[in-house]
Order: sequence, then C-alpha cells, then structure tokens
Amino acid sequence: MTSRDTAALEAELERLREELQTCRKQLLEANELSAVGRLVAGIVHEINTPIGSILSNNEVAIRSLEHLKALLEEAREQRAGPPPKAAKIVATLMNLAAVDKIACERIVSIVRGLKTLVGGAGEEFVEADVNAILEDTLKLARCEFRRRVEVETRFGDLPKVQCIPNRLGQVFLNIFVNAGQAIQGQGKVVVQTEREGDFVHVAISDTGRGIAPKDRPRIFSSGFTTKPAGLGSGLGLAISRDIIVGEHGGRIDFESEVGQGTTFHIRIPITPKTEEQQS
Amino acid sequence: MSESEKVYSAAESEPQPTIVIVDDEEMVLTSLSAYLTLETDYNVVTFTDVDEALAYLEEHPVDVVVSDYLMPKMDGIKFLAKAKELQPETSRVLLTGHADKQSAIEAINKVGLFQYIEKPWDNAALLLVIRNACDRTRLLRSLQSKIQQLDEAHANLKSAQSQLIRAFL
Repeated sequence: MTSRDTAALEAELERLREELQTCRKQLLEANELSAVGRLVAGIVHEINTPIGSILSNNEVAIRSLEHLKALLEEAREQRAGPPPKAAKIVATLMNLAAVDKIACERIVSIVRGLKTLVGGAGEEFVEADVNAILEDTLKLARCEFRRRVEVETRFGDLPKVQCIPNRLGQVFLNIFVNAGQAIQGQGKVVVQTEREGDFVHVAISDTGRGIAPKDRPRIFSSGFTTKPAGLGSGLGLAISRDIIVGEHGGRIDFESEVGQGTTFHIRIPITPKTEEQQS
Repeated sequence: MSESEKVYSAAESEPQPTIVIVDDEEMVLTSLSAYLTLETDYNVVTFTDVDEALAYLEEHPVDVVVSDYLMPKMDGIKFLAKAKELQPETSRVLLTGHADKQSAIEAINKVGLFQYIEKPWDNAALLLVIRNACDRTRLLRSLQSKIQQLDEAHANLKSAQSQLIRAFL
C-alpha cells in the first residue's frame, strides 16, 4: 500500500467520523425534542390555568378601575370625602395583583425548566448543580404527573459537577417520563442524591410495574421498547447511557422488581477525565 | 337582569342563585369569584377540597356547580356525578385545562353535563353559561313544584270524588 493510499483511507475515515458525529448530534437533539414533546399536553395544562386567571383578573381590574374613576369623579363633584366603596374596590384589586404575581411565577418556572432542557448552553462542559437540574426537570415532569404521581425529593449536599446540564436534564427527563408511564393509576417517584467519593449518585425510584426479567438485558439497546407505537422510540435509555457513560464518564444501572417498581442509579464523576470528555 | 329572569316571575321571589365553584387552584377561585362578584349578585361559594364542597351540597340548595377536571382526591367527573346524586336538578359545568376529547365525552355522557368549558376561559362566555345554567335549574325546580301542586290537586279531587260518591250512595 502506497503512502498515498494510506492518506486517502485516513481522509475517508476522518470524513466518516465527522459524519457519525453529526448523526449523533442530530439524534441527541431529536431525543431532546421528543422527550419535551411527550410532555406538551401536561405543560399546556399547567400554563393554561395561570393564564386563565391573569386574563380574568385583567378584565376585572379594567372594569373596577372604570368604576373607581366614576365613583371618585362623583365624589369630587359633590365635594364629598372618599367614597366608602372605593376602599373595597382597591382591596379587591390588590388581592388580584397578588394572584397575578403567583400566576406569572408559575409560568416563569415552567419556562425555566424548558430552557434547562432545550438549547441552553449547548455542548460545553460547565460547573453545575445536579440538584438544581433535577429540580428544573421535575417541574416539567410534574406537569405530566400532576395529581397522579407523587414526587418525593431527598437531596443531599452536592459539590458542583463538571457536566453538560441540558444533556443531564434529558437523561433525568427520560427516566421520569418512563417512571410516569410505568405507574398505572396512582404512584410515587422518589429522587435521592448523595455524594459518593468522586461521584455524585442520583437514584430515581418509581412504584411502577417493573421491568420483566427477559427485557432487562435489552433496555439500554437502541430501538428496544415495550411501549405501544407512538409512546416510545426505544431510544430514550440508549441515548441516556450514551450521555452518562460516553459523554460524562459515569455509570447508569438499575434494579427492578415486577409489580414493585424500578430504581435507576446514575453516577456522575465530579470532574470527568479529559479523554472521556473527548470520546 | 337578563331577559329570562324577568320572564319567570316565580324566580324573583326566590333568594339569589348560589354558585358553587370547585378547583384545587386557589388562584382560579379568586379570579372567578372576583369576576362574578363584580358582575352579578350571585352568592358565590368556592372550595379547593371536593369533600367540603360535597358537604356543602348536602346542606344547601345550589343552582350551578362549576368544577375543575384534574383534582387530587377525585376528578371533576366523579365529583359532578356525586353532586348529581345529591342535587339532581342542579346544572353542572366542567371547567378544564385538560384539552382531552375523551374526558369531555365521558363527562357529558356520565353526568349529564350542562356545559364543558376549556381553560383559559373567556369571562363573558362563562357568565352567559352560568346565567343559562341558573335559568335551567330554576325552571326545573318550578316545573317540579308545579307537578307536585298538580299531584296534590289531583289527590284532593280524588278524595272529593270519593266523598261525593259516598254521600250519594
């Protein structure tokens, strides 16, 4: 083989590697959107309630202010003191303004959760608080769980972790959505975090139906799903493993008992090794 | 006052209509009661807890029940079904942010829903629905009392008839 052939092969290999990288990136982006897509109905519901309140309050505020203006003008014409009804209207308006503030904060927190997951800082490793990522992701998952699934968090004191926050958010969301789908009727999800030496350990348990023993060896394989068509792509856990193991140099394992539930253990190194960062 | 309230003079002597609103979100209750208090003289009673709402319905006659769909203890359809058992003639309205056709169909078929409204709601449209719902309830109640009066008159006639027959025999 001439050195020219070798050079051509190397160039071809490089091109294929780049193509693979692009495909992988597209796949991650698609999964990111599909995980959020599955929550859309719940998110719409959670946003509609505060918007309904704000719209209604705004209308009441406009009417009340018109009424107040008329009352004050009437009092001025009659050179009377402040009308007693005015104080009542002002009290109502203050009450509604307080409700509007709560309603806006609710919408803001959902939008913040969405930002953590989609887009965000991109693919850079940054120092981030894993508890905060879990909290933001749970805000979205709760839209889906709502009254059906109770969430309990037991967050330990964690050091900041070198990670890609929106990728970790994607992994957590995949597991939360799976947990929600595994629970039929009422159930519970427990999220626990703790420091384990050089790692941060996140345990997510659900009281769902569990994973059948025959399915266990395959759950991280891409394309494997037991969900009905339209509910799962079979990529969620495969991508989650790629993000945790391949990208962050961590570990992802699970334990499951049929009829009792499943626990996923995710261990993320506090400072990833350089070569793992690059792989 | 709306047209319909003028037509049914029987309703005028009755106390103001009572509207019960149930939603686990305090903010929705505050907004709705502020609006209804501004626009109407209805007696508006609100609950975040379904059991408290049912206890109220056991004790007080209510014209319209407005309920959210997704609530912690029971969903709006189950709650409205219980409300129907307690006060069958009360008009039932489901106000929901859950844009799900299945639950709408279920609600209409299972609990004889008067109207299904989606969040975010339009105040003017909601008020129109509540007004019509009140009229419906009051018409049903006045129909029931008329039927009862007829039954009583019928029973009186019967006893008068049997007395007559006895007097002549």
